[in-house]
Amino acid sequence: MPEMVKAKKGNPRSSGRAEEQTARLSADVELTLAAGEVELRESKTADEPNGSLKALLRDELAALDADRRNKISAGLAASPLVAEHPSLPLSGSLYEIREVLRERLPACAVDARQPVGLAVEQILAIDERSFWVSGWMHDEDGEGAVTLVSPEGARVEVTKTAFRFERPDVVQFYAPLRGTTRNHGFTAYFELAAPSLLTDGWIAELQTSDGVGVEIRCPAVVVDPLAIRATILGELGNRGPVGGELAAGHGRHALTRLQERIVADSEIESVDVYGELPGGPAVSIVIPLYKRLDFIEHQFLQFSTDPDFAEVELVFVLDSVEQKDELAAKARELFALYGLPFKVVNLTAGAGFAGANRHGIESSSAPQLLLLNSDVIPDRPGWLTAMREFYAEQEGIGALGPKLLYEDDSLQHAGLYFHRAPGAELWENAHFYKGLHREFSAANVARPVPAVTAACMLIDRERYEEVGGLPLHYVQGDYEDSELCLRLSKAGYENWYLPQVELYHLEGQSYVPDTRRVPSEYNMWLHSEIWGDRIEELMAEFDPIGSQATG
Amino acid sequence: MSDLRVLYVAHNHPTLHPGGAEAYSLELYEAMRQQPGVEPVLLARIGSNVARRRVAHPGTPFSSVNDDPNQYFVFTETDHFDFFTLTSRDKSLYSRHLTDFLLAQQPDVVHLQHTHFIGVDLLSQIRRVLPDAAIVYTLHEFLPICNHHGQMVRTFADELCPEASPRRCNECFPEISPQSFFLRERFVKGHFANVDRFLAPSAQLMDKYLRWGIGEQRIEVEEYGRLMPDRRAGDPAQVKSPTNIGFFGQLSHFKGAEVMMEAMAMVDPGVDAHLWLNGANLELQTQEFQEEFARLQEGLRGRVTFRGPYEHSELPRLMEDLHWALIPSIWWENSPLVIQEAFFHRRPIICSDIGGMAEKVRDGIDGLHFRGGDPVSLARTIERATTNPRLWRSLREGVRDPYPMDAHVAKLLGLYEETIEQRKGVAVSA
Repeated sequence: MPEMVKAKKGNPRSSGRAEEQTARLSADVELTLAAGEVELRESKTADEPNGSLKALLRDELAALDADRRNKISAGLAASPLVAEHPSLPLSGSLYEIREVLRERLPACAVDARQPVGLAVEQILAIDERSFWVSGWMHDEDGEGAVTLVSPEGARVEVTKTAFRFERPDVVQFYAPLRGTTRNHGFTAYFELAAPSLLTDGWIAELQTSDGVGVEIRCPAVVVDPLAIRATILGELGNRGPVGGELAAGHGRHALTRLQERIVADSEIESVDVYGELPGGPAVSIVIPLYKRLDFIEHQFLQFSTDPDFAEVELVFVLDSVEQKDELAAKARELFALYGLPFKVVNLTAGAGFAGANRHGIESSSAPQLLLLNSDVIPDRPGWLTAMREFYAEQEGIGALGPKLLYEDDSLQHAGLYFHRAPGAELWENAHFYKGLHREFSAANVARPVPAVTAACMLIDRERYEEVGGLPLHYVQGDYEDSELCLRLSKAGYENWYLPQVELYHLEGQSYVPDTRRVPSEYNMWLHSEIWGDRIEELMAEFDPIGSQATG
Repeated sequence: MSDLRVLYVAHNHPTLHPGGAEAYSLELYEAMRQQPGVEPVLLARIGSNVARRRVAHPGTPFSSVNDDPNQYFVFTETDHFDFFTLTSRDKSLYSRHLTDFLLAQQPDVVHLQHTHFIGVDLLSQIRRVLPDAAIVYTLHEFLPICNHHGQMVRTFADELCPEASPRRCNECFPEISPQSFFLRERFVKGHFANVDRFLAPSAQLMDKYLRWGIGEQRIEVEEYGRLMPDRRAGDPAQVKSPTNIGFFGQLSHFKGAEVMMEAMAMVDPGVDAHLWLNGANLELQTQEFQEEFARLQEGLRGRVTFRGPYEHSELPRLMEDLHWALIPSIWWENSPLVIQEAFFHRRPIICSDIGGMAEKVRDGIDGLHFRGGDPVSLARTIERATTNPRLWRSLREGVRDPYPMDAHVAKLLGLYEETIEQRKGVAVSA
């Protein structure tokens, strides 16, 4: 790390007061030392750093006891200035400081004849300030404390909050000691007060109740968000029910921040406009595209013969970014054929269903939004006007969803409700009359419903924004639309189902059930965790199936 | 007064799996649809053993059939069905999906043609969800009683079985304990307790269920009603010697495939008899059976002609050249639909002297019986039949028209109404 070297160049700089000494840590931050007190402050001068950091600290602070030195290092790492001006040079300098101040403990050698053992198997960087750690510890009485030390010197006692679980491999390994301790495994999500940017240099310390201390070096921090997500979901799936203690205490916080990071990492790279979009469009149709691009040609054919589209701002958002060129080629051809104007939003990275919608909505301008899936094909023209007229007539309407059909004229969507099996804790989304025929009488009544699908949803932009839009915290989908509807209902709006408008929804069956099991269970748990009470209230007013069939 | 809503449940849809019970279910549904004041709904099971691929949509086993808003498929995984206990291992099929379907449809009557692949649990769930609905169940074979494909034929030596018991069933299946058979019977009967009315298309079938323990006040004989084709088959060109015999249906062991092939090999070479096989599903039979059948066929070129599968609508043409229909089944049968079809076209029947065949075909009046499972007896009967034009003419005179669908529909509607009334009594006294 060359910056690090640069940061500690030079000699101690004498300041106005003789007792205060200063060393530059990065372009923005310097360290001051006066009467044994160490502080960070914004550098006031543009001078070259001129303190030898190591020498300075060694001279001034070596005499302090280990605990005091650790506290100083940790205090510097947690300083608000580090949070304000994070940089690799600063992290590098803090690492130097930690190395000078930190009292080294004996290295832990894992040995089946020695009761004290410690391992950190992985540290995942959810973002710069939040981390996920897994490992195990073993001691005489199970009372030992594990503290992680960041490369910058921040200290976190993870065993205080960690989720503990049985590790049969550890129990087996220490069998010769005939110990009685259990739950050696630990997993914890934790947050630091300020960013930690270095991937190497984490230390873990174990202090036993009888005063023995050991340390180990941790493996390099994992930073790839998708690898991290898979690892955390894997742990949730392997430690009892997915929606258990680990999810509630750790997984939820980690995954929520991770989802935010994934969306934040995805920015709008470019917006390609084909043709001339209407000046003041009445409605923006936002269609996220992921992998399957073959449906849009069918949408174009239907849209282009529908006079309603004169007032539409049609926006496609490409979430599978690797298909940018493929889509651009297709878009040119489709525009040449159908003459229907539209725009394509290209992203720097995949943002997921909710994130892609968010980008599309940001790139659009009409006062009404129609969220549409790419595999939804209108049955006949005029559907959009019919939806908009109905929307305008309903006082206090939130989201409006039409009738969606499978290719064999069975109902795919006639409104959503929430179902909880007898004795179960969690609510799942359920579809009214799914699989019944499009003419089934009870499904042909316009009515308020607990929720509607985002596969085709009309909503005023203002109301959408008022409740914060589609949530980002679900992992690969399923519950974004129902949470949006719950937010609307909580804000006092009513969601409606409109059967007079019919579109086909060629809902795929392509996902692999096994890899989707844990994310689906997690999403269902999270949805119930956040909205369970509201759902309970809402469902008390709803008869899910009812005896609405007419003879 | 609102329409009478009748839900028919069948174990297959005839467009996917040809079969007597399937064809009858659809015909009955169509006939009921013509009745003023009746709104029938047909729910036919579909699954991996009959469909080329999974046809259900995600999140629901239901899907519509063609353009008819009152016909549905219910998809069940064949692997989820417990063929021993006759129940689905996926209980959400009942607790969730079928419950929703029943609540949405609100039938006044549920008339089950079958619960195979769906499971007998459906019966209890109907009662739980719709306490007032009348439950009617038509019995088509002996699956509830017998684990040997519901045939009531012993697994050894093709011996006909008159009654089931844990001990006797364990003799047929030594690897399954008598205790398991006891539990199977208790389980099936427990769910059957919810049925208001059982219908048996033949008296012999009813007798076996009476013996098994269904109370006589809950079961009665009601023959299948049939919608007959527009025209009857013309007379065969050759009436001086009635040599042509037709077989219709599945070529399987229980249908007597080997018996008739062996018999044809024994027919006196001087007798000009010819057997025409109109059959399907040979490819579904065991490899062993297919090989045996091919071997038997080898020596019979010129005596036996295989005409392959046929559509129901082709029957008049296929019957045209035939003098006789042959039903050589080695199991009891129920009320084979071929009997009604052959009689409609005025063809006398040669059949085994057992079960539903002996009941529906009168020996010497509209057909000839031979000793079931005995190829020698069949060979002698064929020789007698094909060389005796006077006998053929006289049996032909004795043939009566089959039971018409409109009479059947009228009978069922009366029965539905009566059962609904009975249930009201139950509901009040409960």
